[in-house]
Amino acid sequence: MPQDRDRPERFLPLKPLVLDILLALADGKRHGWSVVRDLQQREGGEKLLPGNFYRTLRCLRDDGLIEEAPGDANEDPGERRQYFRLTRLGTLVARAEARRIRAVMVDPRTQKLLKAR
Amino acid sequence: MNVQRLYRMLLRTFPKDLRDEFGGQMEALFLAELANARGFRRWRLWQRALADAWRHGWGARRDSWSRFRKTSSYIEYDLPRWRMDTLRYDLRHAVRAMVRQPGTAFIVVLTLALAIGANTAVFSAVHTVLLRPLPYTQPERLVMVWEKREAEGVMKNSVSPADYLDWARLNQSFAAIAAFNGAALDLTGEGDPEKIEAAGVSAPYFDVFGVGALYGRIFQEGDDVIGRNHLVVLSHALWRQRFGSDPKVVGRPIMLNRVSFQIVGVLPSNAKFPNTEAQIFMPLVMQGGVDPPTRTSHQFLVYARLKPDVTVVQARSEMDRIGRDLEKQYPTLSRGHGAHVTPLAAEIIEPVESTLLVLMAAVGFILLIACINVTNLLLARAAGRRREMAVRSAIGAGRSRLVRQVLVECGVLAVAGSAFGLAVATWGVQLLAAQMPVVARPEAGIVLSIPVLLFTLATTIVVALLAGALPAWHMVREDPAEPLKEGGRSPVSLRRRLRFGLIVAEVALTSLLLVGAGLTIRSFRAVLSQEAGLETSGRLTFRLALPFRRYGDGVDATRFFGELESRLAGEALIRQVGANSLPPLTGFDGRRGVVIEGRVVGPDDGPTRAHPRSVTSNYIQAIGARLREGRGFLPSDDAASAKVAIINETMARRYWPGASPIGRRVRYTDQPEQWREVVGIINDVKHWGLDAPVNPEIYLPMSQAPSEAMTFVLATNGDPLSLIPIVQRHVRELDSNLPLFQVRTMEQVAARSVERRRWTMTLLGCFAVLALVLAAAGIYGVMAHLVSLRTPEIGVRLTLGASPLGVMRQILGQALVQIAIGLVLGLGSSLLLMQGIRTILFGVEPTDPLTLVLVGVSLLSVALLAVAVPAYRAMTIDPVSSLRQSA
Repeated sequence: MPQDRDRPERFLPLKPLVLDILLALADGKRHGWSVVRDLQQREGGEKLLPGNFYRTLRCLRDDGLIEEAPGDANEDPGERRQYFRLTRLGTLVARAEARRIRAVMVDPRTQKLLKAR
Repeated sequence: MNVQRLYRMLLRTFPKDLRDEFGGQMEALFLAELANARGFRRWRLWQRALADAWRHGWGARRDSWSRFRKTSSYIEYDLPRWRMDTLRYDLRHAVRAMVRQPGTAFIVVLTLALAIGANTAVFSAVHTVLLRPLPYTQPERLVMVWEKREAEGVMKNSVSPADYLDWARLNQSFAAIAAFNGAALDLTGEGDPEKIEAAGVSAPYFDVFGVGALYGRIFQEGDDVIGRNHLVVLSHALWRQRFGSDPKVVGRPIMLNRVSFQIVGVLPSNAKFPNTEAQIFMPLVMQGGVDPPTRTSHQFLVYARLKPDVTVVQARSEMDRIGRDLEKQYPTLSRGHGAHVTPLAAEIIEPVESTLLVLMAAVGFILLIACINVTNLLLARAAGRRREMAVRSAIGAGRSRLVRQVLVECGVLAVAGSAFGLAVATWGVQLLAAQMPVVARPEAGIVLSIPVLLFTLATTIVVALLAGALPAWHMVREDPAEPLKEGGRSPVSLRRRLRFGLIVAEVALTSLLLVGAGLTIRSFRAVLSQEAGLETSGRLTFRLALPFRRYGDGVDATRFFGELESRLAGEALIRQVGANSLPPLTGFDGRRGVVIEGRVVGPDDGPTRAHPRSVTSNYIQAIGARLREGRGFLPSDDAASAKVAIINETMARRYWPGASPIGRRVRYTDQPEQWREVVGIINDVKHWGLDAPVNPEIYLPMSQAPSEAMTFVLATNGDPLSLIPIVQRHVRELDSNLPLFQVRTMEQVAARSVERRRWTMTLLGCFAVLALVLAAAGIYGVMAHLVSLRTPEIGVRLTLGASPLGVMRQILGQALVQIAIGLVLGLGSSLLLMQGIRTILFGVEPTDPLTLVLVGVSLLSVALLAVAVPAYRAMTIDPVSSLRQSA
């Protein structure tokens, strides 16, 4: 039985950076650096601070939303990178947040707001 | 500093586990961004990195503290942004407040700067000399061993070769024990002839200080045997300057005093030794020829290293036993002699310790006065802003908000004061390093001590914040409506009492400092008024040391000095010429046991001693001393004639009490057959300094007691320094290889002997003036503020018919009470505290009434002056406008 701590709803709503990280990892494992690159391209490259990013990453791992993944077998051991992937809880949380946003998106008033722009 | 290290410093705000795991990646990420950025964007990046470190570094630490945090708060701005914003606002406000009231801000900043600067500089000196460990291997195990003669009250006499050899042979306490004897040598051969400082050392010397050779070897046993002793070890500095750091110098010859020595080793650059900056070390020969080593000629400093398990006390008791054994073995020569062991650190520190401690206490007082001043001013300012605060509170400012604003304002003042203080400290340290006359530890050099600086900064900042917090704390407790009522006239009794106490304390501390300074100034005057026993004006002195190898054991040296004297006497500009082997006021001295004919030595009398000087026949006239009785030396008193001596008054009084010594005979203890007839008595001449007591002195004609080194004294009617070229010409004509040294006017020599006293007096005087200025500024600031607070009240009283003079008298009277209490407290405690500076005083009692009265009067008048201005202002208050102001 899942503890109260692990209910996906407990984490909602997600801060934008958290959702971005979870989305970036939705396709499978990636290392921290490539997540940063991905986010920076989407955000216009300005807003992401290393301290903020890695602190968030650690919190996500400590809360069990993401976990470390083994690297590629053919990788040079001298340049081994730290890979992360979503846990089941992480997937659930991301999905819950996506559903929440979808609920917002399908609301006709949202459509109206977006059109008015 | 490169960007990588700077960023790593920023990263230190993050908890260690996060840094260990991600630090490298964060660094790489930041550096990559930085590499892409140009110009302004680089600054922007750094700014963002700073904010990142601040917000998320501390934030991440909180993540680790609370595992059960509200999960949704773990991202982005959880250190609330408004805190930074309000801080920025408060800072801006504080700077504006400073600009609006530049007077108060200026006094506070100046006070802090001077206090921090003076404190840091003096404490740095203290730190360097007293606290920093000596630069030797395991310095705590180094000791000095002296010859002691307890019966005469002499605990630290230099050591004779025979005693040193016996101690080295008999002791069990020391891992190594070595003798040292300083010397000056002429280095000739390659390059210009040069007078260099040299040291004769016994073989274990380098072991005592834990120094090995950089190249070649250090001395070993057997190097000190005559015939095999022409060896030297070079200091690193000499090796670099004279031999261009050539590693192959070992084995090469070097010419010292025209004799060839062989270089056997070079010392490393970090080799340091106490009491010397010798450039060259040579083996110390204990035994010349077939005679046994002498026990009566005391010349060596002896250093030793304790064995690991031996304490100073144990070593001392063992050496005491050895001393007693030797006394039994040599009852005539060693009567009353013993050995005394002292820690090396104490030897080095002791001479300056009391002076530095007094200075430290003085600057400590300055710091206290400064803190009181700042507290006073800030309290006064806060009182003036009660209305402003009340208004802000009434329109909705929270209490914490108000307190924080006051604290930020005080913080800004403190930081500004600290910044200027740092500048003053840097400058002060340079000044101290340049001016400190007898640097006890020349190897150390005074540098700004960072821990000391941080301590002083922390103290002042804490004090400033406390001074700010006190009224702020009071403010939040009081009903904000209170100050708004009736023009806010209700005075706060707590603050008033506190301020009263602060003025009293300030006056008391200042009077203490003034008394201290006054006493040292009076001491200095007392020292200067001492009879030196000689004339200092219009006299030039210089020293010549003849190389023993070329001039032999006396006859040639005597002839050389005699020739030089007669040549110089022939010069028109020179009025008198004389020479002395151990001239006064320079620190050269010697001492020998003497036998007085017909004097019965009782069992309680110490050994009979005198300090010998070899002089030329004109010496007494040349230094301007007086013959009290008998005659001076004549040219006919030469080596072939009857032996004669002149003694000083102290010797005459001590050894021929109540009788005339003229015509009586005296001899050295170790020269049984050579009686000398006393032919004259000369007045006492101060030898170790104007403030030192005079010892028995015995003057012998140079021809009967040759010396290889003499200091000449030339008297002239003109400028003494103009004689230098004449002297140089004559010396060169006689021997082109002889350097002159210690060329000084007698006035300079005398000034040097009181240098440390002058230094202490100057510094204490400066501190006292500083304290006086600070106190006056503080008293003025507080009184002025008080008057402005009471303006409405005074206005009412004036309107009701009070006379302006009465108002002024009342204000003056109130201030006078505080000042008087402070003075009584300060002068009273000085009676007690000044006992502590007794050691640095001369000819003045610590309770000197004249000093106390002068201090009281001067402080009182300065304080009254500081009060008079605000009191006058109160008298001239226009009642109408003041009433309108309060309505």
